[in-house]
Amino acid sequence: MAASATPQAQQHVERLERIWAERTGLLGWLTTTDHKRIGLLYFFTTLALLAAAGTEALLMRTQLIGPNKDVLGPHAYNELMTMHGVTMIFFVIIPMTTGAFGNYLLPLMIGARDMAFPRMNALSFWLFLASGLFIYTGLATGSAPDAGWFDYVPLASSTFSPGRGIDFYALGLIFNTVASTATAVNFIVTIFKLRAPGMSLNRMPLFCYAFLAVSFALIFALPALTVALIFLELDRRLGFHFYDPSAGGDVLLWQHLFWIFGHPEVYIIILPSFGIATSIIPTFTRRKMVAFPLVALAELLVAFIGFGVWAHHMFAVGLPTVATIYFAAASMIVVIPSAIQLFAWIMTILTGTPSFKTPLLWIVGFIVTFLVGGLSGIMFAAIPFDQQVTDTYFVVAHFHYIIAGGALFPIMAGIFYWFPKVTGRMYHERAGQWSFWLTFIGTNVTFFPMHIVGLIGMPRRQYTYPSGLGWNGYNLVETLGSYLLAVGLLVAVVNLVVSLRKGARVGNDPWGGDTLEWATTSPPPPYNYAVIPKVSSAYAMWDREDREEDARRLARGERTLQQGHETPASTVLDADWDEILDMPADSPWPITLAAATAGIFAMLLLGHYVTAAVFGAIALLVLVAWHGQEPQEA
Amino acid sequence: MSDVTRSVHATTPAAAARVASQRRALPNGWWGAALLVATEATLFACLIASYFYLYSYTTKWPPPGVERPSVALPLVLAAVLVATCVPMLLAVRAARAGRVGATAGWVALALAVQAGYLAVQIVELKDDLDSFSPRTGGAYASAYYTLLIAHHAHVLLGILMSAWLLTRLASGLTNYRVVATRVIALYWYFVAAVGVAVTLTLVSPSL
Amino acid sequence: MSVRRARRRSALRSASAAWLVVALSLTGCGGQSALTPHSGPARDIDKLWWWMLAAAAIGFFGAIAMLAVAWWRRRKEGLPWLGEREETTNSLVIVFGIAVPVVVLVSLFVVANLVVAKSTEAPAAGTTQLSINVVGRQWFWEVRYPGSPAVTANEIHIPVRTRVNVIATTDDVIHSFWVPELNRKIDMINGRTNRVLLYADKPGVYRGQCAELCGLQHAHMAFQVIAEPAARFRRWLANMAAPARAPQGAAAQQGEQVFMTQQCASCHTIRGTAADGRIGPDLTHVADRRTLAALTIPNTRPELISWIRDPQRIKPGNKMPALGLSNAQINAVADYLAGLR
Ligand code: HEA
Ligand code: HEA
Ligand code: HEC
Ligand code: CUA
Ligand SMILES: [Cu+2]
Repeated sequence: MAASATPQAQQHVERLERIWAERTGLLGWLTTTDHKRIGLLYFFTTLALLAAAGTEALLMRTQLIGPNKDVLGPHAYNELMTMHGVTMIFFVIIPMTTGAFGNYLLPLMIGARDMAFPRMNALSFWLFLASGLFIYTGLATGSAPDAGWFDYVPLASSTFSPGRGIDFYALGLIFNTVASTATAVNFIVTIFKLRAPGMSLNRMPLFCYAFLAVSFALIFALPALTVALIFLELDRRLGFHFYDPSAGGDVLLWQHLFWIFGHPEVYIIILPSFGIATSIIPTFTRRKMVAFPLVALAELLVAFIGFGVWAHHMFAVGLPTVATIYFAAASMIVVIPSAIQLFAWIMTILTGTPSFKTPLLWIVGFIVTFLVGGLSGIMFAAIPFDQQVTDTYFVVAHFHYIIAGGALFPIMAGIFYWFPKVTGRMYHERAGQWSFWLTFIGTNVTFFPMHIVGLIGMPRRQYTYPSGLGWNGYNLVETLGSYLLAVGLLVAVVNLVVSLRKGARVGNDPWGGDTLEWATTSPPPPYNYAVIPKVSSAYAMWDREDREEDARRLARGERTLQQGHETPASTVLDADWDEILDMPADSPWPITLAAATAGIFAMLLLGHYVTAAVFGAIALLVLVAWHGQEPQEA
Repeated sequence: MSDVTRSVHATTPAAAARVASQRRALPNGWWGAALLVATEATLFACLIASYFYLYSYTTKWPPPGVERPSVALPLVLAAVLVATCVPMLLAVRAARAGRVGATAGWVALALAVQAGYLAVQIVELKDDLDSFSPRTGGAYASAYYTLLIAHHAHVLLGILMSAWLLTRLASGLTNYRVVATRVIALYWYFVAAVGVAVTLTLVSPSL
Repeated sequence: MSVRRARRRSALRSASAAWLVVALSLTGCGGQSALTPHSGPARDIDKLWWWMLAAAAIGFFGAIAMLAVAWWRRRKEGLPWLGEREETTNSLVIVFGIAVPVVVLVSLFVVANLVVAKSTEAPAAGTTQLSINVVGRQWFWEVRYPGSPAVTANEIHIPVRTRVNVIATTDDVIHSFWVPELNRKIDMINGRTNRVLLYADKPGVYRGQCAELCGLQHAHMAFQVIAEPAARFRRWLANMAAPARAPQGAAAQQGEQVFMTQQCASCHTIRGTAADGRIGPDLTHVADRRTLAALTIPNTRPELISWIRDPQRIKPGNKMPALGLSNAQINAVADYLAGLR
C-alpha cells in the first residue's frame, strides 16, 4: 500500500500479510481459494482454449480457401466446426469473462476481500477445467461431436450419430453448466452481500451491474439447456422418446429448449463486454459515464428481454405466423437497451477528453463492430429476410461481428487495461496499438465478405463449395483475413508475455482509473485491501478524500479486520455494515469434488452406470468432509 | 460499527441466537440456497413445459396400452410432502432461538415423514415400471418418468441433507448450523412446491 | 388481350425460353443468389434488403461520424455547438437510443413482417394448380408429382409463371429447401409437413441447396429448379411418368442384368423392372438428368462410370458403397443407364 508509510500502518499490513499468507508452489495453486488466483487459473485455461478454438477456425478457413479443396474431409470439418463453436461459446468467452475477469475484478471493485463462497469458487474452476478436458478428450480420441454447436436432433440422435461424439457434447455441456451455475450464484451473492459498507446499489460500478445481469441470466437460462441435454442422453442411451416423432416425441422440442437457453446465452456473452467497456471509457475520457442510471437499467433489461426472443432462430421451421410475428417484435424491442448503451458510450467519448491508448482503441473497435453486427442482427427480425438468409454466411457474419468483434475486443481491451494491475508492469503501447489495428483490419476482412457471400447464396456449415457461383474470391479474402487476424492476436500475446518480464514497473493507479481496484497495490495482496475502503459514489477512486480517509484509518488500525480471513457482509440495498465473516482459506476439497464429479461423467459416458453411482457416493462423502470445517462464510 | 457482529464467534447456542437476531440482511448461505432453488425451479419449469408441449402435440396421451395415472394417491402424497414444511418451519424457529433439542426434534420428525413418503413413492414407481416402461410407453412414458424421477431425486437429496444436519446438531448449535437449518428448510419448501406442481402435471391426463 | 396476340406472345416467349434454357444449362447449374431475384417474393425480399441496407448505412455512418467528431475534439470537453450541459447529453442518448430506433423499428416491422411476409407466405390450400412433393434424404432430393407416378431426384421441373405448392418433408434428418432466386427457404422437419411457394417469372434454371446441416454431405446436397413453358413441362412430366425404356443393344441388356443381379436393384428403383430399392434415388429416367449425386458431378458417361466405380471418392460418406464391379460390368451398367431417358 502506498499509504502504509507510517510505522503503525506497516504493522497492520504485516499482520494481515501473515494471516492471509498463501501456500506457495503447485499445491498452493491446486488448493487455492483466492479469487485472484482462481481468476488467473481461469484466464490461462481459457486462453489455451481460445488458441485451440482459433486454430480450429483457421483450419476451417484453410479448407475453404478455394472451391473443392481437400485439406479436411467432411468428417474432420464438421468436427472442427462443432468444436470451434462449442469451445468459443462455452469454454472461451463465458469462462473468460465471468471466470477470469469477474473473479479477479468483481471483489476488488466492490471492496471485498474474496467471493462470497471461496471454496465453491474453486470448485467452479476445477469443474470447468474438467469439463473442458472431458470434451477435448472426445476430439483427441477421434470422437468429437460433429452435429454443429446447436446439435439439432434427429441428426444428433443415436440413429444418425452413433458413436460417442454427441455423448461427449451432451455430458460435457451438462458438466460445464454445473460450473457456470455455481459461478453465477457466487457472483450474485457476492454482489448482494459483500459490497464495501457504503456502496449502496446506486453507487455500484456499471461493470458490476453487467455481471449481476449476466449471473441472473445464467441462472435462468442454463436449466433449459440442461433439460434439453438430459432428454438427448435419455433418448440416446436408454431408448426414451422425447425427440422421436414416431413415438409421440417432437424434434422441435429440442430447438425450443436449446434456443430458450441459446438466445439469453448470446447476451450472456456480450454483457460482460459491455461491463468492460463501461469501465474503460470513463478512465480514458476523464469523465463519468453519460446517463448512468439508464445504462444500468439497460444492462439489466437486455438480459431480461433476451428471454423472450428465442424463436427468431427458428423462423424457417414453419411455426404459426402469430408466433413468428411475436418473436420478431420482441427481437426488435431488445434493440432499444443496446442502442441506449451504444449511444451512452459514444456520447461519453464525445463529451470527454479521450486519450486513444490501446484499451480505448479496442473499445472503439468494439463499438464499430458491435454496431455492424447489431444492424445485421436487427435485419433478421424482418421475418422474410431472415427466412432468406438464415443458415447462410450472412448469419455467420452477424454473429462473428458481434462476438469476435463485439465480445472479444472488449476482452482484449480489458486484458491491456488491467494488465498493469495484475502484473505490476506496463505493456508496450506501440505494439499494443499495432495488435489492435492488425486484429481490427483482419476481423473486418474476414467477416465483412461473409455478408455478401451469404446473400449471394452460400449456406453455412459446408465443408466445401463448387466453383462458378461467384463465391471463390470472397472466400479467399476471408481466409487471408483470418490469418491477419490471428497475427494481430499473436502480436498482442507476445506483447503481454514480453512485458511480463520487461515492462516498466507501475504503481497502484497508472491510468487514473475510476473504480476501487486501482486503490490497492499492483498486484493486489491476498487480502485485497488492508482497510475496508470507504465508498460514497460509483467512482470511488475519484473521491480523493475517501482514499485519504482510508490511509488514516489504516494508521489507526480501524476497519482492518485482522482476526482471521475476515471480510464485512453488508445489507443488500444500502450496504450497511451487517456482520463480519470469516472466509475459508485454502482447501483440498474443491479439486477433490471436481475429480469425483469428473469420474461420474466419465463413467456415464462409458455406460458404467454402477461405477458412476460409486463416484456419486464418493462425491457425497467429499461434500461431508468439505462441510466438516465450519468457516463463517455462510 | 459497534452493532456489527462477528459471526465466527457464535459457537454456542446463545451466541448463535444472538447473531441470528442481530443480523439485518439474510445470511449469505440463505441467498446462495435461494439462487440454487431458483435455477432448480427453472429446471422443473422446463421439464413441466416439455411435458405439456408433447401433450399438446399428441392425440393419445397416454398412448394406447398405458393406463391413465391414478389421481387420489399422488395427491395425498403431495399433501403429506407439503405438510412436512411445518416441522421444518418450526425447526428454523427453534434454531434461530438457540434451542438445539427442539431444532433436532423437528428436523427428525420431518425427516421421518419424508422418508416414509419416499418409500411409498418408490413402491409406486416400481408398480408403474412393471406396467409400462420408457421404452414402450412412447413420449408419454419418457416425460412421465423423467419428471417423476427428477422429483424423487430431489426428495432423496433433501433427506440426505437433513440427516447430515441431524449429525451436526448432535454436537450443539453454531451460527453455521443455524444457517444450515434455514437453508435446508428453504430447500424443503421448494421440494414441496415442486412436488405439488409435478403431481398436478402428472395427474392432468386423468382430470 | 386477344387470343391471337396472346398465343403469338407465348410462342415468342417459349422460343426465347428454350434458348435461355440452353444457355443456362451450358453455363452450369443456374444461379443461387438472393440478389438476383426471379420471382415476386424473391424480388420483395431483395427490395427489403436494399432498403434495410440503406437505413443501416445511415445509422452506421451517423455513429461513425460521432466517433470521428469525438476524435477531432479529443482535447475539448462537451458537445460541439450544444455545450457541456449534462442534460443535453443525456437527452441525446434518449433521442438516438430510444426515439429514433422506435420509429425505425415500427416501420421495419410493418413493412417486413406484415407486408413482405404476405408475399413470401406458403400458398393457401387449394390455390395452386400444381403441388410437388419434395422429400429431403441424406443427401439428395426425392421429387414426386402427386397424381402422376413420376418420381425423380435433384431436379424439379415447374411450369413457368405458375404458382407451385412445394410440400417439403424429410425422410431422415432435418434439411432445408432453398431456392434463393425464387423464394425464402423452408425447413423439412420430421413429423411435420411444411410448404413453400415456388414461382418463376421466366424460364430458366435456378439452383437450390440444402441449408440445414444434415451430416457429412450437407455441402453436396443441391438441386435445380427448371422452369419451362407449360407445354414443355407437360411433355417432360409425361415422360417421367412412363416406365423405363427397355435396354437397346447387347451391352445395355447386359448392363440391365448386372444392375438387377448386383446390389444396385436393392437400393434403386427403376420403374418397369424388378428393381425397387428405396435407399437411393429413382433411376427410371436417370439419363434425362443434367447432373448426378445432387449436383456433385455432371451427368456424362465418364463421370457416371467413375461414380459407379467409387462413389465414396466423389462424395465421401454418401450412402452408396463402391461395389467392386469389373470394368466390363461398369461399362455395361453405364450403357444401360445412359439409355434411361
Ligand atoms: C465466441 C465465439 C466465436 C469467436 C470468437 C469466433 C472466432 C472465429 N470464427 Fe467462429 N464460430 C462461432 C463462434 C465464434 N467464432 C460459432 C458459434 C460458430 C458456429 C458453429 C456451428 O455452425 O455449429 C462459428 C462458425 C465459424 C465459421 C463457419 C463454419 C461453417 O459454417 O462452416 C467460420 C468460418 O470461417 C468461423 C471462423 C472464425 C474465425 C476465423 C474466428 C477468429 O476470430 C478466431 C481468431 C482467434 C485465434 C486465431 C486464436 C488466437 C489466439 C492466440 C494467438 C492466443 C495464443 C495463446 C496461447 C499460445 C496460450 N467460425
Ligand atoms: C454476442 C452475441 C450476440 C448478440 C449481442 C446478438 C444480438 C442480436 N441478434 Fe444475434 N446471434 C448471435 C449472437 C448475438 N446476437 C449468434 C451466435 C447467432 C447465431 C446462432 C447460430 O445460428 O449459430 C445469432 C443469430 C441471430 C438471429 C437468427 C438468425 C438465423 O439463424 O436466422 C437473429 C434473428 O433475429 C438475431 C438477432 C439479433 C438481434 C436483433 C440482436 C440485437 O441485440 C442487436 C442490437 C444492437 C443494435 C441494433 C446496434 C446498436 C443500435 C443502434 C445503432 C440503434 C439504431 C438501430 C436501429 C434503429 C435498428 N441473431
Ligand atoms: C446401399 C445402397 C446403394 C447401392 C447398393 C447402390 N446405390 Fe446408387 N445410390 C445410392 C444412394 C443413397 C445414392 C444417392 C447418393 C447421393 O447423392 O448422396 C445413389 C446414387 C446413384 C446414382 C446417381 C443418381 C442421381 O440422380 O444422382 C446412380 C447413377 C447410381 N446410384 C447407380 C447405382 C448403380 C449402377 C449401382 C450398382 C452398381 C448402385 N447405384 C448401387 C444407394 C445405392
Ligand atoms: Cu440436407 Cu443439409
Ligand atoms: Cu437470438
